[in-house]
Amino acid sequence: MRVLLAVLAGKIVAWLVRFLKRGRGSSLPGLVALKIHPRLLSHFVRQVRRGVVMVTGTNGKTTTNNMLARMVADAGLRAVVNAEGANLVTGIATAFIRAASWRGRIFCDYALLEVDEATFPRAAAQVRPGAVVVTNFFRDQLDRYGELDRTVALIRDALADLENVRLILNADDPLVAQLAATGHAATFYGLGRHAEVSPTSTAAREGRFCPFCGHALTYDYYHYSQLGNFRCPSCGFSRPRAQVEGEGVFAGARYSRCRLRYPGGTQELVLGQPGLYNLYNALAAFAAGLFLGLDPARMAGSLSSYLPATGRMERFRCGEKPVLLNLVKNPTGFNEGLRALLHLDPPVDLLIALNDNDADGRDVSWIWDVDFEMLEGMQERINLIFCTGQRGEEMAVRLKYAGVPLGKIVTEGRMEEAVRGVLRASGSSACLLATYTALWPVERILCRYAQRERAPEGLPSLS
Amino acid sequence: MPRESVLLKVCHLYPDLLNLYGDRGNVMAFVRRCRWRGIGVEVVAVDLGDEVDFREMDFLFLGGGSDREQGLMARDLVRRRECLREAIEDGLVVLAICGGYQLLGRYYRSADGRTIPGLDLLDFYTEAGASRLIGNVAVEVVIEGERVKVTGFENHAGRTYLGRIAPFGRVLAGHGNNGRDGTEGARYKNVFCSYLHGPLLPKNPRLTDHLISLALRRRGLPAELTPLDDGLEAAASEVMLRRLLGPGKA
Repeated sequence: MRVLLAVLAGKIVAWLVRFLKRGRGSSLPGLVALKIHPRLLSHFVRQVRRGVVMVTGTNGKTTTNNMLARMVADAGLRAVVNAEGANLVTGIATAFIRAASWRGRIFCDYALLEVDEATFPRAAAQVRPGAVVVTNFFRDQLDRYGELDRTVALIRDALADLENVRLILNADDPLVAQLAATGHAATFYGLGRHAEVSPTSTAAREGRFCPFCGHALTYDYYHYSQLGNFRCPSCGFSRPRAQVEGEGVFAGARYSRCRLRYPGGTQELVLGQPGLYNLYNALAAFAAGLFLGLDPARMAGSLSSYLPATGRMERFRCGEKPVLLNLVKNPTGFNEGLRALLHLDPPVDLLIALNDNDADGRDVSWIWDVDFEMLEGMQERINLIFCTGQRGEEMAVRLKYAGVPLGKIVTEGRMEEAVRGVLRASGSSACLLATYTALWPVERILCRYAQRERAPEGLPSLS
Repeated sequence: MPRESVLLKVCHLYPDLLNLYGDRGNVMAFVRRCRWRGIGVEVVAVDLGDEVDFREMDFLFLGGGSDREQGLMARDLVRRRECLREAIEDGLVVLAICGGYQLLGRYYRSADGRTIPGLDLLDFYTEAGASRLIGNVAVEVVIEGERVKVTGFENHAGRTYLGRIAPFGRVLAGHGNNGRDGTEGARYKNVFCSYLHGPLLPKNPRLTDHLISLALRRRGLPAELTPLDDGLEAAASEVMLRRLLGPGKA
């Protein structure tokens, strides 16, 4: 009876939110339903036929989960997915409510859930997943989680409390790879050595010390941040062998590719997104798909035609001008976003929308850990930088101290004016970077002036 | 007056270890504001075990880290204590933030009742609290006889209680040292301690310039600084002051 009431209330709220056009309603229905029936998730999860996969970690949760969802759908299976980054317990509950009948029945093979790191212990205890994918750990919104060490410990403890779970872990991140010590069966994925590896890491490094003995780790090479071929000279902890490994990596301006090696074969993988981190997301999704028993060739096909979710390096066109929209939420992701400027037609106009709501991180000091100093080296590529959002002025100060000339910095508090400004500026292309709660308003305004590019065009053929 | 011949030495302690909350921005701001005026600066990064004589330095920055990193830094600093004490007594300009601030005091009493000795250079102590004090802060600081509003972001579990030592400023909004007595940070000679991240110096150019002036004065050099255009900093500060104190009080 309580289930019926909770689902009904949730559905009514979802309908109201849509009817009144008050946001996208990806959390509120769940919030209401959970108030009525706190154990609602367990009720839903029992009905999932084959199993639940949870994806957690700092960066790449949404993309990895959406890639996995695409592969599952292409295999003709049904899944409940919490899309759009609604990754707190309320967002997960909302996804189930939307998929449920009025009587609270769910008909699906899988539930594929991306879960916020701080939420993971509570969600995992209720959902009891059959597989957990952990992408990476970077410093993120410290005022919400406390320090990174604590976040990792929370997830490690939550995993230790689970039974019969398969871990799918990033072999290149020592903070993630250590989770195999929880004793669960683990599949590791990672990238092999390639031309772009670096002998040093310039980013603020989190995994500097061995998680087991505290000794400083040594690296043969880095991919980026603390991801690389690591080894502890003191206790011998080292990068585990990856069962799913990307070889012959190429990460280009508009696409990236590698050869996927897995137990039993290889597949060529071409992604319509740039950057090593998108290859990591694809490897994680592929490794999870293998565990679910999906067909490898078909998975590679699904990944090649995958389109990114809103604000994950999404491409638009405003008249002739190419426009890139990207979510930025921590220094590592922001650095990747800035590096994308190198691949756009110069000169580039840039917009940065910085908010400081809970979901963005109330402490904006993290922008000082972003390597804006790299802009000094590409000054002739950059035309104007528009700073907007609740803390746009703070962003402008950061740019000033990174050595960006004052004449290039435009502070515009009104988001509408700022987006119009960056689209109308004289550059050949535009790049819009927004924190979480600034992303939706920026996208809404952008869609009024620019067309979303749908098909990933210009991909090299595989034959 | 061009002063390229001047070379201020900025000592950044454990930059790899203590790089939480963007605090390295404090060093960037000090360096940039010197260079924009033609004052030469050299940054000396000091890591665990490196040799350094603090008395030769002009500005020392000490940030905070996670518990483990803080432990490593405390062990390394203990053996440098005497050298640091002499430099401080001699007027070395120091900015210590959060964990770096706590370390300069008498001790830190952890939640389980253990007492972790500090460097005992300044008269204050810190006790772990049950909750973290988190949020935006506005503080009134007196700089060269003038009241200046300083903003930042605090995030600390420790409650600091001052002995016979002046606070850095008076809390206008936020928690400050302990959430009770309205004090924020500590000040002794040319040592400035604060819980404020943000980072503190880029957001508050008046304070940064004051530290630069003090460093020049200690060297016996003229301490008047060429004014800079601080429009962006003022705008950012105003946004936060208006939010914390209401319109008209910024």
